[in-house]
Amino acid sequence: MEISILGYKCSKCGTIHYPNRAICRKCRNEQFTVEPLPDKGKLLTFTHLYNPSGDFDVAILDLAIVELSNGVRITGQMKIDKPEIGMKVVGKIEKVRKSGFQSFKGMVFYKA
Amino acid sequence: MKEVYVVGIGITKFSRLEYPLIEIAAYPSIMAMKDCGLSSVDHVYVANMGGSRLSHQTALGSALVDHLSLYPAGAETIENGPASGASAIKQGYMAVASGVHDVVMVTGVERMREANSLEATDFVASLAHPLAEQIYGVTLPSMAGMFTRLYMNKYGVTSKHLAMVAIKNHDNAMFNPNAHLRMPITMEGILTGPEASTNNPFVADPLRFFDMCPVSDGGACLILATKEVAKKSKRPMIRLAGVGQATDTHCVHERENPTDLPAVRGAAEKCFKMAGFKAKDVDVAELHDAFTILEIVESEEVGFFKKGEGHLALEKGYTSLKGKLPINPSGGLKAKGHPVGATGVGQAHEIVTQLRGEAGERQVKDAKTGFTCNFGGFGNNVVALAFQKEK
Repeated sequence: MEISILGYKCSKCGTIHYPNRAICRKCRNEQFTVEPLPDKGKLLTFTHLYNPSGDFDVAILDLAIVELSNGVRITGQMKIDKPEIGMKVVGKIEKVRKSGFQSFKGMVFYKA
Repeated sequence: MKEVYVVGIGITKFSRLEYPLIEIAAYPSIMAMKDCGLSSVDHVYVANMGGSRLSHQTALGSALVDHLSLYPAGAETIENGPASGASAIKQGYMAVASGVHDVVMVTGVERMREANSLEATDFVASLAHPLAEQIYGVTLPSMAGMFTRLYMNKYGVTSKHLAMVAIKNHDNAMFNPNAHLRMPITMEGILTGPEASTNNPFVADPLRFFDMCPVSDGGACLILATKEVAKKSKRPMIRLAGVGQATDTHCVHERENPTDLPAVRGAAEKCFKMAGFKAKDVDVAELHDAFTILEIVESEEVGFFKKGEGHLALEKGYTSLKGKLPINPSGGLKAKGHPVGATGVGQAHEIVTQLRGEAGERQVKDAKTGFTCNFGGFGNNVVALAFQKEK
């Protein structure tokens, strides 16, 4: 089964929320439809986080905020050698964290 | 509404404290009661963020009432992340201003050093969005790192400016016997010298080790009361003139303008409106510099300087102890320390000490008005307080 990350589109004003909330922040409507978020976007900002917690088996964890092609922004991990603000990126859904017997999937960004 | 005064204050050293959580809360509370000569209060508010997780203790308000034998006073524990302290002061303000109570105790406390630094960072990161931020390993330092990169790109802030904040606040902490990091640092030692990258490695680039506050234990207490009680206490009349609070999106990525902190702006605006004076009238301020960048940005958002010009004011020395508007004379979170639940009360403690003229070598001359900004989340819940000295 293909996994996707879902945006929550207000059925009244069309604002797409990520993550979900119960009431639209623009028009206060309570009805939403879900749609997969696009995988392409541009790098808004990033950091190299040194010595992340034990759930991440890397010494340096690269984190980013990306503005997707539909204007929605998302936080994710990043695997890019020389990242630059504004560069085009593409997201893939991969395992991002392992905590005990639990693992989590989320968005990992690569150079487009 | 009744006017509200700070009649008693107390504080522990911010450091590693080898005492149980309740003792760290009790010490500054007893100090504050002795400061104003009161032996009973109507209500106790305890500000704390991590007692349940780090010390396996909840219901700290009830525990403090018992420890200090203050029954049958009412009691609550207030949790609002790193802004818990100022939130509790706001609750105390409302209780006295409304006439429900005449005297309330507000104690902030945190014991974080029993966890290792990764556990402590992970605990604070629990305020991030579970599914959209936490699963990726987002921590507060990483949020600050991403924010700083954007700010540098847009406004020309450099690593040198950030180091200047750290150096200034470490220098101030040298005059504060209760500060956690009482050690002077130099530009050469942390940024420009040959050993700088060893002394000051990246934590969440572009932020380095000395851009971060320490993990501290500590407690602080304010006793708030009506004007009638304050007059009887015979302590300097310091009025809690304004309280303001504002919120923003849980996820940092949802902010409309990612280099703005509108909750800081909103909290300050409400606070000044209530206080009846403006940002330009403030003589001394304590801003929430958990990361050096935050002192610069908050100094703009609360209205001390124009947007994008906070680092220029810093360069000119406006915010140093002898400058036009000293910021963080206590050493700030950066060097005084950041026991999260106690921080907002500690900021207020410093301002009251300054307005009383009891700050010793770090005294800001003729300070009559003071301001604090206590920053919760990464700017999603901010509480601002304004204080004024009366004759």
